[in-house]
Amino acid sequence: MGGARPLGTSSIFFSENKESSTSLSEDNEKRPEENEANAEVNNDGQKNTKINEGNNISNAMLTSQLETEPVVKLEDSKKFDKTKTGKESLLELLGAMKVEVTTIRKIRPPKFPRVSERPDPKPMESVQSMFQHATAEVSQQHETLIPTLVAAASAAASTLPNRRQAESELLQQLRKHEAIPDTQRRADGQNIGDIISDMKVGKKQNGRSNARPSSQIRFDEDGQGYTQDRGITGELDAVRTRKSPFTSKRLNIFNAGAEQDSLSDLGPTLWDIDLANQIVQATNQTPRNGFEEMIQWTKEGKLWQYPINNEAGLEDEASVPFHEHVFLEKHLDESFPRQGPVRHFMELVITGLAKNHHLTVQQKQEHIAWFRDYFQQKDNVLKEAEA
Amino acid sequence: MAAAWKLLGTGMGFLQSSLPAYRSSLGVVEQVRSYYVDWRMVRDVKRRQMAFEYADTRLRINAIRKNTILPKELQEIADKEIAALPRDSCPVRIRNRCVMTSRPRGVKRRWRLSRIVFRHLADHNQMSGIQRSMW
Repeated sequence: MGGARPLGTSSIFFSENKESSTSLSEDNEKRPEENEANAEVNNDGQKNTKINEGNNISNAMLTSQLETEPVVKLEDSKKFDKTKTGKESLLELLGAMKVEVTTIRKIRPPKFPRVSERPDPKPMESVQSMFQHATAEVSQQHETLIPTLVAAASAAASTLPNRRQAESELLQQLRKHEAIPDTQRRADGQNIGDIISDMKVGKKQNGRSNARPSSQIRFDEDGQGYTQDRGITGELDAVRTRKSPFTSKRLNIFNAGAEQDSLSDLGPTLWDIDLANQIVQATNQTPRNGFEEMIQWTKEGKLWQYPINNEAGLEDEASVPFHEHVFLEKHLDESFPRQGPVRHFMELVITGLAKNHHLTVQQKQEHIAWFRDYFQQKDNVLKEAEA
Repeated sequence: MAAAWKLLGTGMGFLQSSLPAYRSSLGVVEQVRSYYVDWRMVRDVKRRQMAFEYADTRLRINAIRKNTILPKELQEIADKEIAALPRDSCPVRIRNRCVMTSRPRGVKRRWRLSRIVFRHLADHNQMSGIQRSMW
């Protein structure tokens, strides 16, 4: 199918050197390379990876498995919960195939399987070793496979050139896939997710292609100049393409429910006040005419409320009955002497307070309380004066 | 975040937007006055605030001082007490200055403006109901 290239080593190198994130995002670019790589491998009959009608993602998975990048396992684990057709499940199984370099049989695949290591100089041998593994494991596994999957495997294998070999290999992988318990599979997915979240995102270097001084005049068709609107859209683009903290994987460092208790207890924090101010300023608050200006001043308290109410701040006092204003002798009975100049003085004070229309009951009681304290402090002076 | 919305509901959000930095609808840019005119005005403001604080106390002590019923020893003690209060707490030290220019003299009480500012605003039709008089 493909050209007579040496085994697609170069293409594998090339795709390995790429950033891991771009392998996911630029699937379309990768596809011809993948097909090439698939074709090369296919020619050697090592492994059937060329599936034309498969998903892009599964292709990426395959090549990534060849390169041992665990990038797309995340996708695999995401799709796991959907109901699958036989073909999709088969494709996922192919994606789940792991290439193990070492002959040591590990229960779990290694966490960082060759992201940091040098790319394999001889991928052919690694594939071969995997094949040997597969053949070795066949004898050890005797689980019954789901017949639909088996049928799907044979159907897929029929589309590939090496029918028998493909079918046997797929069935081996099926068995191996079934052997791994579900929890481990999910754990693999989570490990992969952790790995991916740790990996860096490569930025697309635009070089800010439209970087011109913002005040520079550009010319229309008719030759009349115009200055572009000074926006910061160029810079904003760079900001927008970064991943927001909400799209990447949750790290589970903090407990979710612990924050809410403290928030409800305190009053409005300074940040809340600042946010409220910003919201108020963001909405169009400037008054359009004099009426709105006066409304704004009234809200602020700069302008009195019309029609003028003499008791503007004293709405609560309306509910206080009159006898609490007028009959204040009951406050006099405790801790004031019954006879003497002090009593005389305090009765005058009470009369004056009763006739005062402008004080609240609270203020009157405060006056009387102050006098009580004062005369209790000056008790000795009073007794000396009497004597 | 919820508290911020509550704040807006109670109308506290106008805290910082009260500065008249906007253009009024008539097209006239108002002066943005965020400082007092001079230090004398600042001191006058401080005296007014302090007089407001101590107003009740001074009233009560003066009530003891200025009557004939209580013994004189008590009144002498009250004299000393009121003298011990801070000097800026007495309302006598307040001077009704012009609000715009802080001029201490020639201030009309109703408008709180000095005569010069009053004349300036009235001539430019900024004082409601004020007209040049002739008879």
